Amino acid sequence: MTGGWRALLRLLAVQGTWNYERMLGVGMGYAAEPLLEDLKTVDPVRHGEAVVRSAEFFNCNPNLAGLALGATARAEYEAVPGAQIARLRTALCSPLGALGDELFWAGLVPALAGLALAGVVLGAGWWAVLGLLVAYNLVRFGTAVWALRTGYAAGMRVGAAISGSWIPAAVGRIGPVAGASVGLAIPLVAGWYLHGFGWVGGLGSLAVAAVGASVSRWFGPSLTSVRFALLAMGLLLFFRWIGL
Amino acid sequence: MSELAPHTLLLLLLWGTVVALDLVSVPQAMLSRPLVAGAVAGWLAGDLEAGLRVGVVLELFALDVLPIGAVRYPDYGPATVAGTALAVGAPWELGLGLSVGLGLLIAALGGWSLQAVRRWNAHAIQRRAAALAAGESGAIRKLQHGGLLRDTARGAALTALGLLVGGALERWLVLDRQTAVGLTLVAVGTGLSAAAGGAVRSAGRGARLRWLVAGAVAGTVLAVLR
Repeated sequence: MTGGWRALLRLLAVQGTWNYERMLGVGMGYAAEPLLEDLKTVDPVRHGEAVVRSAEFFNCNPNLAGLALGATARAEYEAVPGAQIARLRTALCSPLGALGDELFWAGLVPALAGLALAGVVLGAGWWAVLGLLVAYNLVRFGTAVWALRTGYAAGMRVGAAISGSWIPAAVGRIGPVAGASVGLAIPLVAGWYLHGFGWVGGLGSLAVAAVGASVSRWFGPSLTSVRFALLAMGLLLFFRWIGL
Repeated sequence: MSELAPHTLLLLLLWGTVVALDLVSVPQAMLSRPLVAGAVAGWLAGDLEAGLRVGVVLELFALDVLPIGAVRYPDYGPATVAGTALAVGAPWELGLGLSVGLGLLIAALGGWSLQAVRRWNAHAIQRRAAALAAGESGAIRKLQHGGLLRDTARGAALTALGLLVGGALERWLVLDRQTAVGLTLVAVGTGLSAAAGGAVRSAGRGARLRWLVAGAVAGTVLAVLR
């Protein structure tokens, strides 16, 4: 695979031109450029068509984008009809989005963030922060290398390669880990902050937390946690200002 | 914050820009997580404790966010840098609430600014539609570099705004002790509610919920024993 490492580095910026029209499309085109370089000498017309296709609409989790990138680049070299490659790209959007979001955004990130929060509270300081960074980036970069290689090796059969890979099983396992990790962190963080405020302060803060959880469920997405926090702070400042 | 030297403020501005870029554009290495952004900002400003305290609360809020697809989500990176700069040098019990409040405002503004950059990127693509249709690699490169530049400018502007507003708050908003402590308690309480709400929503009703409860029990025991 010529240009594999350059493509991999460019994949780190695959969301650099994120927009509501093509989403990751232009970023994918940018990452595909080194992979398609050899095609320019072999078949310049095909290369031009491949470049156009590479930058069209695409969306998925950025950490698994390499699977689609590798597969479509391989398909271009195998002279698969363009319409078929476009269909493959479209078909990969949803599964790569769902699997990647579950694995990374809803799994690995909260799992590591929860552990790092617990680590900071338990006195690990910098080590907890470094642990979060190193662990995440090892998994993330390892996944990116695997994804690009697997996609390129599988070509149009990338769907079968994904379903037979470690990804579906990992998605099933990471959820409970994330749940336990965040569950562990929340009471530890509460104790860390509220320990010095006495019973009244601690209970007051927990009452705010309980009200926040209730009203967020009641109002749904219209009252986000940020809006609730700003509203509560604003009310406190207002009541103090009028002398309550 | 008023004691921060100009070169420290410049370093914070640079760090805020880096973490803003990290959120979406490049390299998505989790530098933008509030815990990381706050620890480094606190270290740069000479008060690691302040960075960790602000970072932990804003991390609780960040746990409520799933950055999926086209959804608008707060940008906690520059927000944490600004919040940390405001908290530096003050006892955390008094400074944390206002710093988190500033952080939340900047984070919300960051969400709006991300949307603006996305629309701006779309306009740029429309302007180069003919070149893209002709398969010009140069057009793709220019668009990509332009997108990264726009996000860099967004991050720098957002961080600068946060630092400026933080400086103004420190100078003009004088809070009595009771109000400052009250704000801190509200900040912690709302952060806990955000993290708990996000965790319960993500857990659904399956194994993840059981593990969440088990983790919470273990965390409560550890917190009591400490």
